Amino acid sequence: MTAKLTQGAVAALVKGSHVENPVLQLLNIRQINTTGVPRYRLMMSDGQHYLSSFLMATQLNRLAEENLLVPHCVCLLKRTTKNTLSDGRHVVVVVDMEVLKSAEEAGGKIGNPTSYSTEGQLSSPNKVSSTTSEPSSTSDAEVPGPSNNSKGWEKDFTGKAPVKISPMKTFPMKGSPMKTSPMKASPMMTSPMKGSPMKGSPMMTSPMKGSPMKGSPMMTSPMKGSPMKASTSSPGSVPKVMPIATLNPYISKWTIRARVTNKSNIRNWSNSRGEGKLFSFEVVDESGEIRITAFNNEVDKFFTLLEQGKVYYISKATLKVANKQYTTLKNDYEMTLHAHSSIVPCTDSPEVPVMQCDFVPIGELENRDKDSIVDIIGVCNSAEDVSRITTKTSREVSKRAISLIDTTGKVVTVTLWGEEAEKFDDSGQPVVAIKGARLSDFRGISLSALFSSTIMVNPDLPEAFRLRAWYDREGFAVDSQSLTETMSVSVGSKMNWRTLRDVKNENMGHGEKADYFSCVATIVFMRKENCLYQACPSSDCNKKVIDQQNGFYRCEKCNREFPNFKYRLLLSANLADFGDNQWVTCFQETAEVLLGRSAEELGQLRETDEAEFDEVFQKANFSTHIFKNRVKLETYNDESRVKVTVMEVLPVDHRVYSRRLLSNIQKLAH
Amino acid sequence: MAGILDVPKPRINCSMLSQFINRAVCFVGRVEKVHPTGKMFTVMDGEGKTATVELNEPLQEELSGIVEVIGMVSNKGEIMASTYSLLREDKGVPFDLELYNEALKVIHDFPQHYPFQVAASG
Repeated sequence: MTAKLTQGAVAALVKGSHVENPVLQLLNIRQINTTGVPRYRLMMSDGQHYLSSFLMATQLNRLAEENLLVPHCVCLLKRTTKNTLSDGRHVVVVVDMEVLKSAEEAGGKIGNPTSYSTEGQLSSPNKVSSTTSEPSSTSDAEVPGPSNNSKGWEKDFTGKAPVKISPMKTFPMKGSPMKTSPMKASPMMTSPMKGSPMKGSPMMTSPMKGSPMKGSPMMTSPMKGSPMKASTSSPGSVPKVMPIATLNPYISKWTIRARVTNKSNIRNWSNSRGEGKLFSFEVVDESGEIRITAFNNEVDKFFTLLEQGKVYYISKATLKVANKQYTTLKNDYEMTLHAHSSIVPCTDSPEVPVMQCDFVPIGELENRDKDSIVDIIGVCNSAEDVSRITTKTSREVSKRAISLIDTTGKVVTVTLWGEEAEKFDDSGQPVVAIKGARLSDFRGISLSALFSSTIMVNPDLPEAFRLRAWYDREGFAVDSQSLTETMSVSVGSKMNWRTLRDVKNENMGHGEKADYFSCVATIVFMRKENCLYQACPSSDCNKKVIDQQNGFYRCEKCNREFPNFKYRLLLSANLADFGDNQWVTCFQETAEVLLGRSAEELGQLRETDEAEFDEVFQKANFSTHIFKNRVKLETYNDESRVKVTVMEVLPVDHRVYSRRLLSNIQKLAH
Repeated sequence: MAGILDVPKPRINCSMLSQFINRAVCFVGRVEKVHPTGKMFTVMDGEGKTATVELNEPLQEELSGIVEVIGMVSNKGEIMASTYSLLREDKGVPFDLELYNEALKVIHDFPQHYPFQVAASG
């Protein structure tokens, strides 16, 4: 019944290596007295080692306050992050944790763990302060900083070459009064940068990264005051940057180096609480992306400085949980700039990616959910002109539909709005990449650019080059299939294409419900003699009226008499295709389409000019159309007949029809 | 010329020219270049390949766009035209040459369904 602890986890966590859901036993918990929010320090054991450099994130404070964290309880650490203090000590911050077994269940201390720190790793804390305080007097201490550390640690290091800490870059161990608190298990390995999310600099002597806990006397927070930033002093020094992916609200000092991928315009707002302005932008680096917003004063300070596509060092901003309503980025956090925020252009970082995109092949869009946000890239093989439409809110906005095709041979229509629509240049079939477009089921499958989408024309991405090469070689001639229905005709899966003989062969209409199908057929005969009838003139009533022979016409349904009537068509026609023919009934709307005349006109013509009346039918005879029909078995006085009614008549688009036939042939051939 | 009108003229593209040497064919393609003498011009098929067409008499008019040529394939793979007709581009649905090419391939892949012979009359 002893719970299984993850042996070696303590050592690994402190070194910064990732451990998957380690199970540790709590040996001791101590509250640190800080101003404001209480913080708890934990001594955790993995059965092999124990360490008290575990700090619990404040969001977990309730675990302590509710007395769930009793010494000897066994816990599962679901999320941790490692931080390195200015003096090189390492702290593991427990961001999410769950108690697996209570102290009673655990039954005492598991194993015989030894203090991790005392494995000969470190010298006494005093040393730390003495050595590290030296550089504080020298600002810009290039070498002294790190090497001091190494001096102090050197002999304590087992296998960790001080080389690691070599003075490559400056590390302003600036002036911070490192208070070394009697932390147990203290300062481990400075070398570490292991876990330390310092990107790009081989240096890694941590200190920069500050203390995770603001105000906690346990750790030497001081860094705060020290201007350890790229923006300051240290000529020729490159600040230690950390990956965007590791940013969280508990790090007090960080710098990121990232490229602005999307910058919004300044927006003003005015509500009951006041008014102000804001703009937001997104940045990306090799590890991920994050959204940053600036309000009021910061808007003035940074709006003109930031340019889309350029790389900047950014630090000192407030990190908070992302409001997913306003962003589709994959980051749990987002940033807000404040008065002390620093943004400095970076000129030498070719490795920062231009954009983080996860392109979905157009052919796969069918498998994605409606309203999901996707990135796509394709060649724009055609584009409509810009059109202006008025929205529901009576705002006028520009709109433009463009078609993109990619190597899957599928085409999708993307709608651009506003400025993007107006300035889009479709000449030369450019490669277009869109990040953050919304998939919609409007007309099958289509995409819409959002306010937050980024549209890049001929971007500098490997996928773009691949597409360009493919298109120029073969893509332009590919028989593409559009996922977006541009005509109401072919809606692929929705249209049930049949031939006329299928009606009999498949016993269509015999079921309880009517069957619907579409077919391409030719009119071979029409009953022109009885195609017109006199109907009730009331707008919603189409019932045949009875000629009272006194100049009045009676409608039984409306129970009224009228001095007039309206002509309506009820055309019986015979359609044929290669396999069979079929009698169908066309009501007013479809008959008018077939004959190309309105019922009224035909009524008049029949009375006045018979020749021309006949001519109308002659012209329509042997014309081919697409018919959408409804089939139902109907019983009338003991007699059952399959009746076919034409619901809609559409012209045949021969190219679409040909493609469908070719595709059917290919399917049959295999 | 009368002779050629009586026989079946399979529709072909450039890739099939070699198989139809000394036979009457029907070739549809886009006019590329017209020789200065007007007695010869090149046409491109739906696959992007080019063939040469030779006429008996020089052209009397401007030739451009899609043209349908009926003639015999010479030993050198050129089409000796008996007659030609231009497909009008200003009217109707534009001719889709690539789609036409796809149809050609089907016709030749399944000769059992698309036999080229004079229908037996009577």
